[in-house]
Amino acid sequence: MSEISDVLNALNLASYITLVIRYLLPLLAVIIVARCAMSLLRGEYEGEEWGALVLPAGVRVTLAHWENVVGRAKSCDVSLQYPTLSRTHAALIRDARGDWRVYDLKSRGGVSVNGKYAERDGMELKSGDKINFGGVDAVFIASEREDESRIAETRTKPGKLISPTLTLILVTQFQVLLAVALSLAASEFAVAAPLALASVSVAMWFCYALTRAMRRTAFEVETVAFFLSSIGMAVAASSRPDMLDRQLMFLAMGVGLYFAVGWFLRDLNRAKKLRWGVALAGLGLLAVNIVFGGVLFGAKNWLEIGGVSFQPSEFVKIAFAFAGAATLDRLFARRNLIMFVGYAGACLIALALMSDFGTALVFFVAYLVIAFLRSGDFATVLLSVAGAGFAGFLAIQVKTHVASRFASWGHAWEYANTSGGYQQTRTMAAAATGGLFGVGAGNGWLKHIFAADTDMAFGMMCEELGLIVALSAVAAIIVLAVFAARSATIGRSAFYVIGACATIAMLMTQTALNALGSMDILPFTGVTFPFVSRGGSSLVACWGMLAFVKACDTRQNASFTVGLPKRGKRRESEEVDE
Amino acid sequence: MKRVKQRATATLVIALALVLGLGLYVARYMAHGADWAMFAANAALYDNARLTVGTLIDRNGTVLAGFDDDGNRRFAESESVRRATLHVTGDKLGNIGTGALKAFDARLAGYNAVTGAYSRVGRGATVALTIDAELSAVALKALDGRRGAVLVMNYETGELLCAVSSPTFDPENPPTITDGDTRYDGAYLNRGLSSTFTPGSVFKLITSAAAIENIPDIRTRTFTCTGSQTVGGERITCPEKHGELTFKDALAVSCNVAFAELSLELGADTLARYADRAGLLERLSLDGILSAAGRFDEAEADSAELAWSGIGQANDLASPLAMLRYVSAIANGGEAAEPHLLLKTGLSSVLPREKTRLLNEKTASELAELMANNVTAHYGADNFAGLELHAKTGTAEVGVGKPPHAWFVGFIRNEGHPLAFAVIVENGGSGRLAAGGVANSVLKAAIDN
Repeated sequence: MSEISDVLNALNLASYITLVIRYLLPLLAVIIVARCAMSLLRGEYEGEEWGALVLPAGVRVTLAHWENVVGRAKSCDVSLQYPTLSRTHAALIRDARGDWRVYDLKSRGGVSVNGKYAERDGMELKSGDKINFGGVDAVFIASEREDESRIAETRTKPGKLISPTLTLILVTQFQVLLAVALSLAASEFAVAAPLALASVSVAMWFCYALTRAMRRTAFEVETVAFFLSSIGMAVAASSRPDMLDRQLMFLAMGVGLYFAVGWFLRDLNRAKKLRWGVALAGLGLLAVNIVFGGVLFGAKNWLEIGGVSFQPSEFVKIAFAFAGAATLDRLFARRNLIMFVGYAGACLIALALMSDFGTALVFFVAYLVIAFLRSGDFATVLLSVAGAGFAGFLAIQVKTHVASRFASWGHAWEYANTSGGYQQTRTMAAAATGGLFGVGAGNGWLKHIFAADTDMAFGMMCEELGLIVALSAVAAIIVLAVFAARSATIGRSAFYVIGACATIAMLMTQTALNALGSMDILPFTGVTFPFVSRGGSSLVACWGMLAFVKACDTRQNASFTVGLPKRGKRRESEEVDE
Repeated sequence: MKRVKQRATATLVIALALVLGLGLYVARYMAHGADWAMFAANAALYDNARLTVGTLIDRNGTVLAGFDDDGNRRFAESESVRRATLHVTGDKLGNIGTGALKAFDARLAGYNAVTGAYSRVGRGATVALTIDAELSAVALKALDGRRGAVLVMNYETGELLCAVSSPTFDPENPPTITDGDTRYDGAYLNRGLSSTFTPGSVFKLITSAAAIENIPDIRTRTFTCTGSQTVGGERITCPEKHGELTFKDALAVSCNVAFAELSLELGADTLARYADRAGLLERLSLDGILSAAGRFDEAEADSAELAWSGIGQANDLASPLAMLRYVSAIANGGEAAEPHLLLKTGLSSVLPREKTRLLNEKTASELAELMANNVTAHYGADNFAGLELHAKTGTAEVGVGKPPHAWFVGFIRNEGHPLAFAVIVENGGSGRLAAGGVANSVLKAAIDN
């Protein structure tokens, strides 16, 4: 390979090839992100029907989610204007097995089923049961398995409008061009970079084949992640070609974690049961970090096990999403909420002790999102007080540990040659050098600056691949966010919606802190760019978090994390399979 | 679920903030990208704060600063051109702050917001200067090792053809200059722009403009010079007794007594106003390279200071570039084509040039006639054969025991050669002999080309 590049250099051909690739990469990037966006965001999000309530006047109200609130308030799924009803009166909840229960949400009038009053942990419902909501009678009807299959067949499956295969072919072309550009850039990448990108490509097609085998037709979320991971591989190849094998290993672990978390989320009962276990494990990890962690570059957020150092706080993000997510019945339980507030506080204190301000900020934004999604009427005050408390706590942290970062914030050029602005000014200089199309993968110099391939990954993208590719990478994350918010409208359980919103909020906050922090628009806090920054923990954790986004995709046959309805009779007390 | 799904939209607030933040970034990049890229720590363009990209050529395509085969910085092939264009081009170490290598770094990097500072082979862009390398070499030779500056400009277009400063050195073999080494006294300064000198009698062109516009009988008035005149208890002297003379004669022989009388009559504020209008007191921009501002102190009425200030002595100071711009305006009907160093090519070369009116047209034409008379009546047209020369000498006293600075400023009206010039030879003695000789050689070379 290096001989080939020598010959090409002699003919001056290499520089022309790089010249052209520089224009093709942004074009492909824009098309890839646009195709993912169109596939995710265009088209109807057709609702599902899981049951119905027949009211006294014979009116039939569809239960479109697994979790439905009945009450007088407008925000209820079944909003009934009877004065005897409480504002939020009862919750009708279906579990993953298809069993329904009704919960009394501390209503004034109470809830009874066939004349029996509901207890604290709810009451089982069968199709045809008569429910009395504080004097209002209704008949509950559960959708039959046959109905579910029939509805499933009429719903549009994703992938019809925009072919996922074609999008993947474009991503592959993107990877090939990156590989060619890198191999021409320097002899040290000549073999390693194409091999690494080829491996990413193989992993991508393998995952696609796997989801196809599971009869799932949507692959946009994974496409976005593989597209970003390819850019990340190019960044890693440019800065540390000697570490590419490790980077590939991390990618494989990440994809593995993605499927593992996805599988875990698939059964809501299982996820619900184990979520506090996961959450506590996360907190435990932070505790171990505080006790045994090593201080690296100002933050004590690294743990070394068997020669491999990793950042526990990255994985705790997944635990945090688990802790924050809850099914609708639990959302109305005060105990559940207090526990979450306490958990968030513990995480933030741990991160503060580790002086990891950037990650603390990411957690705090996720906390705000979860709090907003969860807050019932009574809880709003408590949550905002707790939120303000955390904000104040963070402010104190800023004063003691991160003051130097903040002193130079917005004035990086005045601190160009001191630690306050050294990295930011170089990032801006390199980014401007790259212009819209970059100087070519592997041709940059920012990689020689400390933490360029992690904390300044956005700058490295700007320099080597150009502003258009860098903005496409951010756009890809935003597309996932818009998708998560939109799929909430046909979400089955609050658990999935909260989990997806919390994780995407964390990914976006990371993106903002990385891109805007290194460009002196936000304080420079040393946060990684999702999927792009080099390094194991961040990449693996991002893939794990992505599973939450995938889990809220309830379009028909879209997600492996969502079971397909089985034709024929429901198997009692057995897990629903594909 | 309804509340949860409605509130899920709130996640998009973060997305919106992210989009707005990136919008701000893109706006800042568009506004400041050039400054960011031209940061001396940008390894793509600099090595130890020295620009490593960009090729500078003169108006005829002669390379002033380029590269050898290994990509190392190399200057012009001819040593005389290297020495003559050193101050315009700049040196390797960046000691000459006004050099094009420093002043036009963003252009040399080829920076623009679309492709950044990318260039296919990493050598940046080529920037053409208005300078004529050969003419510059002639000018340096004419200076013959004396300290000074030679500026030549096309007064119709403002293109600067020659900006030679001496002492100079070969940028390929830069000397180690120690403090107090007189051979390289101010060698890093481009004297044409960055230095100001006592203008001496060339300032009489400004006093004359004021006299023409403010003294109604100036054309019929006669002056009597007895060789000296006492003003405010101090003697204003002339090198010789000029006897009875008209205003025209007074300028030609540069009679201090006559101009002392005019200065007292015009007053300090009028003289200051004309010095200001002539552009002597401001920092001029040569495509962004700023010149040094001159000086004119308003003296008390009827004082010897006032008399001397109108003769270009006292505390008066002017940069050669400002004098060049002023005589260009005289040549060009009162409008100065703003001096340029960047050669305009393509469409921009046919666009109208930026011009500034320094004098009204009538005054300019009268001054031009007077300057033609200076040459024919006093300097000797034969000494400047073949040149339709309009000029004014200056022999500026710079202190007891030091030879005066020699100035020669003006323009020629030769067909196809609308050239203005300003020459100064530090401590060169007679303006006409020292500076006039340099101007003569350079202008003849310019016409012969």
